[in-house]
Amino acid sequence: MDKTIEDLHNLLKKGEVNSQELISESLKKSHEIQDKYNAFVTILDNAKETKVTDNLLSGIPFGIKDNYSTKDILSTGSSNSLKNYIPFFNATAVEKLLSVGAVPVNKTVLDEFGMGGTGTTGHTGIVKNPWDPTRMTAGSSAGSACAVAAGVYPYALGSDTGDSIRKPAAYCGIVGYKPTYGMISRFGLFPFASSLDTCGVLTRSVRDAAIVVDTMKGIDERDMTTWDSSNINLYKNITGDVKGKRLCYIKELCDINLYPNSNEELKLHLKNFMEKLETFKSLGIEIDEVSVDKKLLDALPSVYVAISCAEATSNMSNLTGIIFGPRGNGANVMEMMMDHRTKGFSPLIKRRFIIGSYILQKENQERYFKNAQRVRRLLVDTWKKLFERYDAVILPVGSGPAKHLDGSKDILTKDTAALEEHLQVGNFGGFPSITIPDGFVANLPVALNITGNCYDDENLLNIAYALESSMDYKNQIAKEVK
Amino acid sequence: MNNFTEELVDDLAAKLLIGLSKEENKMVLDEFIIIDDNLSKVANFPNINEIEPMTHTLDDFTFTLREDAINDSILIEDALRNCEKVEGREVEVPKVVGGDS
Repeated sequence: MDKTIEDLHNLLKKGEVNSQELISESLKKSHEIQDKYNAFVTILDNAKETKVTDNLLSGIPFGIKDNYSTKDILSTGSSNSLKNYIPFFNATAVEKLLSVGAVPVNKTVLDEFGMGGTGTTGHTGIVKNPWDPTRMTAGSSAGSACAVAAGVYPYALGSDTGDSIRKPAAYCGIVGYKPTYGMISRFGLFPFASSLDTCGVLTRSVRDAAIVVDTMKGIDERDMTTWDSSNINLYKNITGDVKGKRLCYIKELCDINLYPNSNEELKLHLKNFMEKLETFKSLGIEIDEVSVDKKLLDALPSVYVAISCAEATSNMSNLTGIIFGPRGNGANVMEMMMDHRTKGFSPLIKRRFIIGSYILQKENQERYFKNAQRVRRLLVDTWKKLFERYDAVILPVGSGPAKHLDGSKDILTKDTAALEEHLQVGNFGGFPSITIPDGFVANLPVALNITGNCYDDENLLNIAYALESSMDYKNQIAKEVK
Repeated sequence: MNNFTEELVDDLAAKLLIGLSKEENKMVLDEFIIIDDNLSKVANFPNINEIEPMTHTLDDFTFTLREDAINDSILIEDALRNCEKVEGREVEVPKVVGGDS
């Protein structure tokens, strides 16, 4: 299970291992990981082998984030409000993987309904980082990142509304890929913020990410935001040839001199990033420094909170405990719904709903919601201008390695740096965006991210593959360092 | 200046059918002060009101309406399988009109 999808497929085809053996190994590892890091809501001990075909994913185990609907399998969104919910249908993305013989072996923990970035707010408890259990995995795709990094299987499904695939991938030393908005159907994915939500995958290599998304993607009449991507073949178009490609990084995010109170981890993280850029230049890639209005960057976290909370408030209004979910107590329907929602939602979720509701009130819409949407456009237009000259924007992920769990409040504070939140631009514009590990700080993995223009996923993954190949962090398995 | 107060937070929570503890109320207030501060700066961006709010993620996306077609609907049994109280083919709830419950 520590191998790539291609390697596992070759072993299966040669008969050196069979699907049931891979599943058994993955399930055994799942239980070990669950005891140590609490990555799963459900482990599917009855998972059965499938026929190995020429499809690279056939017979190979994988994990599913617990906000994907899975037929006859508990799907909770890591929320008490859906702790007993069992869908009668599969999400389209899941269905596509099952149709080629991929084998789900567990459902992974997330921050409740995907609305957090720490991996600490799921109803089954905190997910710990497999490199250092005193640190967070980040979120919301916390269990998926933990399990892939720990070698339970080569890939797990994630979803990404702000950075929920790409940040946990960074903290766990693996690859996290969010394709262009609408490339993968979201039918059956529990909605959080519909103008930002994107399905994607966490893997240990860029090629594996390409293989999985090639299968997951496609137009779906049950998700009107999907588009025809049949002319895109991510895996076949990975060549590693990047001569003449152009990347840029943003001075206002990467210059250590702009962080007067920086700690050692931030300094080392940015130093490592700048050193890696020099390495990439030797591949024939041109890399420029560009400037972006700092005021715009500083507004980014609040714009995200305003838009995502407003959309979430609307999306979650059907969680009443009447038609599904545990019934609340009360003498009438209103009391029952209030009891269900009060007990079912964590403080984090309640906070988001209330802020969203306030923002959407008629008298507040102009000041908060519409201004947030206007700044969203300014940010997206800024990035699109960069894409006129560059293939992608390359930036460090976060302000260093995984943060300590005892500092995980997941509350927006005044000192929230744009450096921590810039990946949200990928969701604002629907841009394809991929995180790959780029080194170690304090013996823990750190990562960089590249984000390209919409529909340019093939180019983006090819560049990511070339960068990955020039470093030594491909297909790494987490080893506890503390 | 915003008028985001403890009482307003409780009122919004009640409308959302959510009960809040004192601590949860304070968390909302604390975070909102920061959001309000940042979005106040946004409101002062030059010509901000002339910018069209971004409502759709992909500007070039064209929605295609499919032809009307009769599809199978889901089974009532499937629709009700996650409901804790069912009477026949319907969701059971306390009496809404007339009576005590």
